Amino acid sequence: VRSRATASRIRIGTLAAVLAIAMIAAACEGPRARENRNIAVSGETTSGTGNGGGGGNQVTIDTSQCTGNPTDGISGSTITLGTSLPQSGLYAPFAQILKGEQAYFNTVNAAGGVQVAGKKYTIKIIAKDDAYLANRTLANVQELVNSDHVFALFNVVGTTNNLAIRSLVSQVCVPDLFAATGSPFWGNQQYPFMLGSELVPYSLEIKALVDYLKARKPNATIAAIYAGDDFGNAYKVSLHDMVKGTQLRIVQEQTYNPELPDTKSQVTSLASSNADVFLLGATLLGCPNSLTALRTTGWKPLVYMSGTCAAKTLIDLSGPGADGVITAAPLLDPAAPTTTAMPFYSQYLAALKPFGASAAPPDSSIVAYGWTTAALMVHLLEKSPKLERYSVMQTARTYTATGLGFMLPGATFTTSASDWYLGETYHLVQFSLAKKYFLPITPLIDDDGKTAKVTPPSLING
Amino acid sequence: VRTSRSHALAVLATVVVIALLAVVPKWFDSTQTKGWAEAIYIAIAAMGLNLLTGYNGQISIGHGAFFGVGAYTSAILMNDHDWRWLWTLPVVVVLSAVVGALVGFPALRVRGLYLALITLGLAALFPDIVAKYVHGTGGTSLVQPPLVTTPSWAHGFVDEPLKGRFADDQWRYWMALTAAVILFVLARNLVRGRFGRALVAVRDQETAAATVGIDPARVKVAAFALSAVYAGLAGSLSVLVTGVANANTIGVFQDSILFLVAVVVGGTATVVGPVIGAYLVVYLEHATQGLIAGKPVLSPAIFGGVLILFMWVLPNGVVGGIRRLADRARRDGPRTEAPARVTATPVLDAKGSSP
Repeated sequence: VRSRATASRIRIGTLAAVLAIAMIAAACEGPRARENRNIAVSGETTSGTGNGGGGGNQVTIDTSQCTGNPTDGISGSTITLGTSLPQSGLYAPFAQILKGEQAYFNTVNAAGGVQVAGKKYTIKIIAKDDAYLANRTLANVQELVNSDHVFALFNVVGTTNNLAIRSLVSQVCVPDLFAATGSPFWGNQQYPFMLGSELVPYSLEIKALVDYLKARKPNATIAAIYAGDDFGNAYKVSLHDMVKGTQLRIVQEQTYNPELPDTKSQVTSLASSNADVFLLGATLLGCPNSLTALRTTGWKPLVYMSGTCAAKTLIDLSGPGADGVITAAPLLDPAAPTTTAMPFYSQYLAALKPFGASAAPPDSSIVAYGWTTAALMVHLLEKSPKLERYSVMQTARTYTATGLGFMLPGATFTTSASDWYLGETYHLVQFSLAKKYFLPITPLIDDDGKTAKVTPPSLING
Repeated sequence: VRTSRSHALAVLATVVVIALLAVVPKWFDSTQTKGWAEAIYIAIAAMGLNLLTGYNGQISIGHGAFFGVGAYTSAILMNDHDWRWLWTLPVVVVLSAVVGALVGFPALRVRGLYLALITLGLAALFPDIVAKYVHGTGGTSLVQPPLVTTPSWAHGFVDEPLKGRFADDQWRYWMALTAAVILFVLARNLVRGRFGRALVAVRDQETAAATVGIDPARVKVAAFALSAVYAGLAGSLSVLVTGVANANTIGVFQDSILFLVAVVVGGTATVVGPVIGAYLVVYLEHATQGLIAGKPVLSPAIFGGVLILFMWVLPNGVVGGIRRLADRARRDGPRTEAPARVTATPVLDAKGSSP
């Protein structure tokens, strides 16, 4: 009896001690409180209207609810940017984007840096691996914003991934610049802190296909495969919307799991339709897998694939299956001899050298995309009247770029108060197995301002 | 029988550890606090798995699925039906118990490697089920309910970095810690009591256990249900901490393995082992991330290598290692305590379940 009484006394004592210590712990001030005060002070001095610089065609972004510090990520003469992208797993080929970006930033830094509002800055980029998993992207971006205090997010890869960080981005008001996805979502004006990259919006890719077919084969039948997420859905919804009122017919559609991109059974099933056109609303390994499977079926359609698949690594994986594939391209093919003869190409080659040809093959359009997007980023910073998050975001809303990186000759990337889409000038290209690069099959198509008009509203605001 | 002195010492140590853990969010920034909170919910899932695998000898490589059931229950109720997080817990408990029992029944017929395979199938199946029925962010199975904020009565306890903006991550951490302490005490009392002895008896000698009046089938199904409840609550806490429920093939599989690793590294069939294991595993995972600049592919390999090294040095886990040291010290010094407790045999060595 005595020992039981002792035990119960110990138990009550334990409970009391735990509670007491917890209360003291909670009320006491740790090192974090001191750190917090510093943030609070710097936050208050710089918050405000966030109006970059006057001008008629300005977008005024409401920053009154922003919780972040608009000058985070700038210390001394360094601007720190953050990105999250797949560097391991099935989607690891996208890591080449980072190499292209780093090569460009290194070149700019070596030449003295980027000049913003009269002062030179060097650019640092913190990259985190998310294996293309959206919950990891969210965790990475939370870290980048809350602990690394990056100035802006740059070229975060993936549609779902950028959707996952959208509410965080708009709460903190950290610019999510040049999101590496062609989803029409980035035109949703409820989220002013997001800007898509120069990739052709997926709905516009479908418009280009429909226009092409209307001119050449107006009563073609179409069979399609889509990734089973919003990326694939953008192609599907756009296609259904745009074939309305034409003689084109969708005869069969299949979906695949983007996590396990084995598409053989879907392609075999699609082949039974014997359609004239095979649309690949797929990305990365989904493309070479489908192209290889296509060759085993004996079906010989015209193949139109997502622009995200037009990378050398993926084309190589497709082998002979890639011959004759058509896609929409906003940039020059870095493997084409007309491109390699251009004056900037030697600078590009030299900048890529430190990474090695296997990690950053110069003829990969993924590397070229990273390089070009970095050039757009530097250009955007230069255009900003102030080095401050709101000012940069404001500038991004009325932005024009020509002749940067691998941009097509004569093409312009523009945004305006009413049009938030960047990659609206492009051409259609076709892969030649014999030549091993993409050849243009149309002149430059200028669809500036058209994305919002041709895209079903559910794809923008959904 | 433990002496009251060593008992008091253990209680004191527990209090000190809890007190230290309570001040964590006051010392670390929000990202690090989140990492600490992550260790807490992984510890809870590991505690649950330990009840099943460590004490009852049933291997599960599918606990990521139970974790997911809890996570989605909370996330969907909060996101689509505006429930408060705390209110979702009873539903999480009931649902995970039901799912756990449903898996537990067929598990009665198989054991060892076969059970491992069946639960592995569960982990593989779960993301597909979710992908079919849940439509979250971007048309995928990602559900992001609004983050839990500090209630106004608790505003005095958390930091306020900007006026009117409270450090809610501190509040969420304390909620997770409180849940963990309750579940830890519950697990400790359970395994020291009648049910715990039944678990071990069924694990070691099923037939003998039946002859002394234990119903092995009932015990096994109950162990599965209880274990699933722990994993479900851990999943619910993960939604509280990270603000997102997610199920992808790789993730669910990785979670399942992570729980098992935490149990084995900490020490199977010990109350505190899974907790130590979870903290170690989460720490190692964070520490190996980005260890080699520019080569993120290597991080998981280093993590795996460290774990192998760990098991080589401490085959019975951290707690097993400490016990061995203590035994050696006792053998050298004067004997003060008779080792009359049930010896904790690591399940992987137990008969009938060695892989």
